[in-house]
Amino acid sequence: MGASEGLTEWVRRASQGQASAYSELYRRTRPLVTRLVGGFAQLDADEVEDVIQETFVRAFRALPRLKEPGAFESWLLSIARNRARTRLERKSSTRRLEEDVADPEPEPVPHIPEALQLERDIAVVRRLIAELPEGEEKRTVHLFYVEGELSAREIAEKLGVGKSAVTMRLERFRSRIKRELLRRVLAGRWE
Amino acid sequence: MKHLDDGALGALSRREPEAVAYFATHLAHPCETCEAFLATHPGPGLLDGQVDSLLLGLAPTGASAPPLDEVGLARVRRELRAHRPAAGRWGMVAGGLAACLLAVVLLPRMRVADPVGQEGSAVEWTGEKGRLARIALELSVVARDSAGVLRRLDPGSSVKDSDVLLLRYHATEAGTALLFEQRQGAAPELLGHFPLVAGTHDLQGPQGLAGVSLAGEAGPVTLWLVGSTGAPPEAETVSEMLEGGSGAGPQGQGPLAIIRFDVSVRSGQNRP
Repeated sequence: MGASEGLTEWVRRASQGQASAYSELYRRTRPLVTRLVGGFAQLDADEVEDVIQETFVRAFRALPRLKEPGAFESWLLSIARNRARTRLERKSSTRRLEEDVADPEPEPVPHIPEALQLERDIAVVRRLIAELPEGEEKRTVHLFYVEGELSAREIAEKLGVGKSAVTMRLERFRSRIKRELLRRVLAGRWE
Repeated sequence: MKHLDDGALGALSRREPEAVAYFATHLAHPCETCEAFLATHPGPGLLDGQVDSLLLGLAPTGASAPPLDEVGLARVRRELRAHRPAAGRWGMVAGGLAACLLAVVLLPRMRVADPVGQEGSAVEWTGEKGRLARIALELSVVARDSAGVLRRLDPGSSVKDSDVLLLRYHATEAGTALLFEQRQGAAPELLGHFPLVAGTHDLQGPQGLAGVSLAGEAGPVTLWLVGSTGAPPEAETVSEMLEGGSGAGPQGQGPLAIIRFDVSVRSGQNRP
């Protein structure tokens, strides 16, 4: 399970302006955001901290407009990924500064479809991990997602490979999961 | 064969039946082109967040609730209030100044900050040594301007918003300290945790000499240094205590040494 349990009520309270609810949301979700941003090995510790801060600032500013409190965690993580990508792209100068990756708008955020709720069953992902051929990619995915104790930078050091290689492996695996979930959402919800 | 692109993603976001039917079938099999597109393009909707939530949920979570990163939260709150970009709005800045230089400036003026009689002081603490605490603190402050020039401050001094305040303390015991910044009419905000060493030292964190940036500030600003000999007290509790003007320590936290230093911040553009 993710860290979304019990978040909904805190999101509601935060939307009503309770300062302590923002603290609680931050406490509960910062570890997830930190792990997500830690998957971008090219970001150093200060940049990771900047991305985390920017993520929460953007999310908390827009929170009162979030129509579906149950979508908070996914929405927050989407923002975090966008911020991390933007930071990386600016760092590598592959994009112009104004080409910022836009955050998902809180207004049209839909309720998580029931079909997708079922997809949250981690068995699907575990199966896909198990099906990966033995090798460095599987090892990297296992260290980062299954064991969950090392950042991508730390994994690069542990495996003796470049930082970019670790991020690339993680992103490649993640894109497979994203394709699989998108297919299931399309088949189960929108058909 | 059609692969995912911006147009297709838009069609899926709009739930166009033809696109939905096609890609539900097409994506049933590995497709490097579509996966490469999905890896570099957000959406549709919150799919990215849902994927990350699922993946990050694979790892075991700790049995206990994660501790609150109070410093990080304080920075977020500060940024939210400021409505300014992240750069330049961090409350704490690492000073590159040699500690010995600060010592030269401060040691002759080391003194107990006494809020009594200071304008705008709304609380009753005097900051006197050993009043309520096993650990006693003294605090001195210098301002470093944009040219790097240092000048010692008396409580209530006027400073520029381009100044950085550097702190030096004297502690009778080793311990830990919380540093808060409070603007007029607002709650104190935590700027950081710091180890305290018995004797006279610069306030210093893991990243070096600590300084308080005044960028974006205006009017009365109070710095609170709250020391304790044991584990640091809950920052939120201390903040409420400071805001409430109560001299009693947080329940179960033991005695605290609390000292304040007031300055008045003016815009650098209005400097006479």
